Amino acid sequence: MVQFLIETSWWVPGYGLLGALLTLPWSIGVVRRTGPRPAAYINVLMTLVALIHCGLLLWVVWDMTTQYVSLPWLSVLDLDITLSLELSRVSVGAALIITVLSLIAQIFALGYLEKDWALARFYALMGFFEGAMSGLVLSNSLFLSYALLEMLTLSTYLLVGFWYAQPLVVTAARDAFLTKRVGDVLLLMGVVTVGLLAGDLDFPYLEAWAETANLSPLVANLVGLALIAGPVGKCAQFPLNLWLDEAMEGPNPASILRNSVVVACGAYVLIRVQPIVALSPVALTTLMVLGTVTAIGSSLVAIAQIDIKRALSHTTSAYLGLVFLAVGMQQDEVALLFLLTHGIAKALLFMCTGSVILTTSTQDLREMGGLGSRMPATVSSFVIGALGSVGLVPLGCFWAMYQWAAPVWQSSLGLLAVLLLVNGLTAFGLTRVFGLVFCGAVTPKTRRAPESPWPIAVPMVAMAIATLLLPAMLYRWHLLPAWNEVNLAIVAALFASSITGCGLGVFFYLGSRPLPQPSGAVWNSFQDFLAHDFRIETLYRLTVVFAVSQGSRFTAWFDQYVVDGMVNLLGVASLIGGESLKYTISGRARNYLLTVFIGVILGIAWLGWMF
Amino acid sequence: MLSVLIWLPVIGALIISCLPQERAAVRGRQVALMFATIVLVWTGWLVLQFDASVAGFQFQESLPWIQQLGLRYQLGMDGLSLPLIVLNSLLVWLAIYSSDTNLNRPRLWYCLMLLLEAGVAGAFLAENLLLFFLFYEVELIPLYLMVAIWGGARRGYAATKFLIYTALSGILILAAFFGLALLSGTGSFDYTVLQNPALPIGTQLVLLITLMIGFGIKIPVVPLHTWLPDTHVEAPTPASVLLAGVLLKLGTYGILRFGLGLFPETWQIIAPGLAWLAVVNVLYGSFVAIAQTDMKKIVAYSSVGHMGYILLAAAAATPLSIAGAIAQMVSHGLISALLFFLVGVVYAKTGTRDVTVLRGLLNPERGLPLIGTLMIAGVMASAGIPGMVGFVAEYIVYRSSLPIFPVQTLLCMVGVGLTAVYFLNLVNRAFFGRLPDALANLPAIYWKDRIPSIVVVVLVIFLGLQPNWMTRWSELTSLSLGTLDDRAMIAASLALRPLRSAD
Repeated sequence: MVQFLIETSWWVPGYGLLGALLTLPWSIGVVRRTGPRPAAYINVLMTLVALIHCGLLLWVVWDMTTQYVSLPWLSVLDLDITLSLELSRVSVGAALIITVLSLIAQIFALGYLEKDWALARFYALMGFFEGAMSGLVLSNSLFLSYALLEMLTLSTYLLVGFWYAQPLVVTAARDAFLTKRVGDVLLLMGVVTVGLLAGDLDFPYLEAWAETANLSPLVANLVGLALIAGPVGKCAQFPLNLWLDEAMEGPNPASILRNSVVVACGAYVLIRVQPIVALSPVALTTLMVLGTVTAIGSSLVAIAQIDIKRALSHTTSAYLGLVFLAVGMQQDEVALLFLLTHGIAKALLFMCTGSVILTTSTQDLREMGGLGSRMPATVSSFVIGALGSVGLVPLGCFWAMYQWAAPVWQSSLGLLAVLLLVNGLTAFGLTRVFGLVFCGAVTPKTRRAPESPWPIAVPMVAMAIATLLLPAMLYRWHLLPAWNEVNLAIVAALFASSITGCGLGVFFYLGSRPLPQPSGAVWNSFQDFLAHDFRIETLYRLTVVFAVSQGSRFTAWFDQYVVDGMVNLLGVASLIGGESLKYTISGRARNYLLTVFIGVILGIAWLGWMF
Repeated sequence: MLSVLIWLPVIGALIISCLPQERAAVRGRQVALMFATIVLVWTGWLVLQFDASVAGFQFQESLPWIQQLGLRYQLGMDGLSLPLIVLNSLLVWLAIYSSDTNLNRPRLWYCLMLLLEAGVAGAFLAENLLLFFLFYEVELIPLYLMVAIWGGARRGYAATKFLIYTALSGILILAAFFGLALLSGTGSFDYTVLQNPALPIGTQLVLLITLMIGFGIKIPVVPLHTWLPDTHVEAPTPASVLLAGVLLKLGTYGILRFGLGLFPETWQIIAPGLAWLAVVNVLYGSFVAIAQTDMKKIVAYSSVGHMGYILLAAAAATPLSIAGAIAQMVSHGLISALLFFLVGVVYAKTGTRDVTVLRGLLNPERGLPLIGTLMIAGVMASAGIPGMVGFVAEYIVYRSSLPIFPVQTLLCMVGVGLTAVYFLNLVNRAFFGRLPDALANLPAIYWKDRIPSIVVVVLVIFLGLQPNWMTRWSELTSLSLGTLDDRAMIAASLALRPLRSAD
């Protein structure tokens, strides 16, 4: 039984893909009579099966050493690629979390997309998404991880482009794909190079190889930078964060997964390749710089958003920046813990967001207000989610932040300052969203808002309970620090930064009479600058997009007028030549003879001159 | 056994040409499909009989033809020709199946299809250089006629351009073959006799370059490529499918079989230049494709780009890279055929291929949702998304070429990103967005329109998930074609040597 479960572990990602495949008759419109619902049920069922399989697997491997399963895939001459899976507490646990969240998001979507005609297509994409993610966390080979990251890119593209008839979605999907593709192509370069240098792409092998590898600094740096490029794109870190803002045009149930586990998958790959990245000090420094820039920048950007989903998704980037920073400091376990606590809290926040959006039919924070008394389940879940994602005792993210800060605070106060700043800004931003959505005056869009229907409320409340229980689970898994070793100074600092952030938020947005917003040209333009995500789109338009479009235009012009022009010129010249030469044909035999004679003499003269 | 692949279609063509005038469209189609099916089944049987553990030619046939010229009717199949023969039999069947049932002069059309199949099969199977040349030229006539008779508005221009270019390519190849046979003093055109001729390196170089220019036109290599987009734009869909799917492979087949196969030592001299040409092909093709608005031109220029990968792998000439080149031929054959099928359906239903006009075709009720879905699968396969055959082939190509030509390979990899740019633009413009009123009343779409694309998509995904089915046939042939000398040592010692990717 145990052996069977381990050998069939590769079915876990397979269930989602199978579910996606089974929904095809509905999503392409072959079966119309039943409506799209059966497709949704099939997928929920497949996810449930995956969940059970994953649970059993976790129970089996909990007390085992790490197990490996390899599936031979491609073997040609000296190239041998096996797809191998790693079954450990961490990887199977992560797969379990992914399937649980996927199940919850799918049940959520039953309510959220109830009236959408493309429900079947949505579930197909969710199945695909889930399969790729659970495969990614189980993967034990860089090759497989790369392949699955690409599949995630593809499914993000299709999910963001789900409502493809809207003009904004068209560009959003394109930008999401292309920006991530930049990261993926660089990652592919890294993967191919590492495969060549190391000879094999299994992570344990790579780890051992990295210890003894003797690379020139240049190669090590390039490989390191290439390997971090993929996760940078996936986690929307600066400078590949262009797509994040627009991607919030996608359906909300996909955003739940995107902001909790998809980004975590990107970071997970980063953690796996960390030993190779660590060969290059430049790559590590880049990682930390990018993480810091994104963490602070995105926290600021989040506060300036007027769209509820954007306001939250930028905080996701900020937290992932902290994770990047942790990986850069080689604290892999802290990074994993952070991904877990953040993922659960953020999933909850996005469920509340979905509930609010569905009820009010708007994503604009300025059109909301006064929902607190009308949506009790949503407001309490939001509060729990917000508390869970900032550094307040005793919920999840506090412990992750504590573990993050505890070993480094003495050596680097700067890092601690970054953490406190990001935490404070996030607390402020979440309080702001809370104030704008749930407090304040009632607006026309929120006047008749009811609480969400049960397919939305039940998963949301379940998730809220999970968030509350998370510290207990961490305690049982011995992931919390021992009581007598807790550094009270850090606890106090974190607590203070959260309270300051919340307090400022309350002061600005929760008061009975909101304070007048600061105004002035400089302030406005600063706010604008943040609201537009540091004008990253303009930056792209002026650099990359401009270069590619001008380059392609010039090449096309060159192709049409120079290369093909030469060909046509040659054609025309020979036609004209023939046309004009035909007038030299006089029909007199003596002229032809003369020509032949002159030709022969010239020929003989040339031969004589040559030899 | 191999002769069946050549002569059965010819017999089919003869029968079709004798069919009575009335109901020729239906009967011609039936007969053509029947013969194509038999050929396909026969190909499948040959694949089953093929012994992948033998390096040389199998199922050999040899008959004297014109002894004085050194021309023998000599056929053989090895791991290089087998995948291409399969591709040929399959795509011709699909092309006949997808032919318009109401076209003019149906008997001629189906005749030409079968003759094309015979010519291409002959070229892939010929073991005699002159015989290869004959089939290489024979194959060009049907395609010329297809474009010239059933083509679009500028068919005369396109067909003539195609004919002149390809004829020139044939002349250069013939010149190289004659030069080789005469100068080496054997007087024979047998492939095995002429391998690695004892000629001074300068002479070999001249012959090889002549040969490469000849095949370079067919591949096509920039700047000899301008016939391709023009021909594709004017050609009817089945002809486009065969042109991109099979005929271009004659060029890459030629450089592997005759360039690398006959001149393995001289190959080392031209290899770096060839690798740079590959880079030019990939980047140039991709950049031009980005600026195009005609769907067929986009796909045509993407072919130019993707053939660059084959050039790169051929230049690297390690056993693995040859295997990669063969895999890429199969992969490009399938994917470009798929894209042309889909573009053909879009054109047939909407009357335009202009991506600035088309919009919202994914619309589930009034658009072409299934065709759109298949199109997304096709462009993703072309952009090298894992799980599909394009990724497998490209990965092998990169992995095997990187130790030999690091800078060139990395530059070629940029092409993967650019492929995503132009194909995503295509999909986003034509299939996303709101369906305009002008396109709201499209003619009905039948399963007949979809089946060719579905068959190819299934293959693309299947081979992407089970790549061994594609690569196992050609391993030993790649091993014997690839050079195993100091390059293998370079590959092994690369771990200690800094990559030249810095500059």
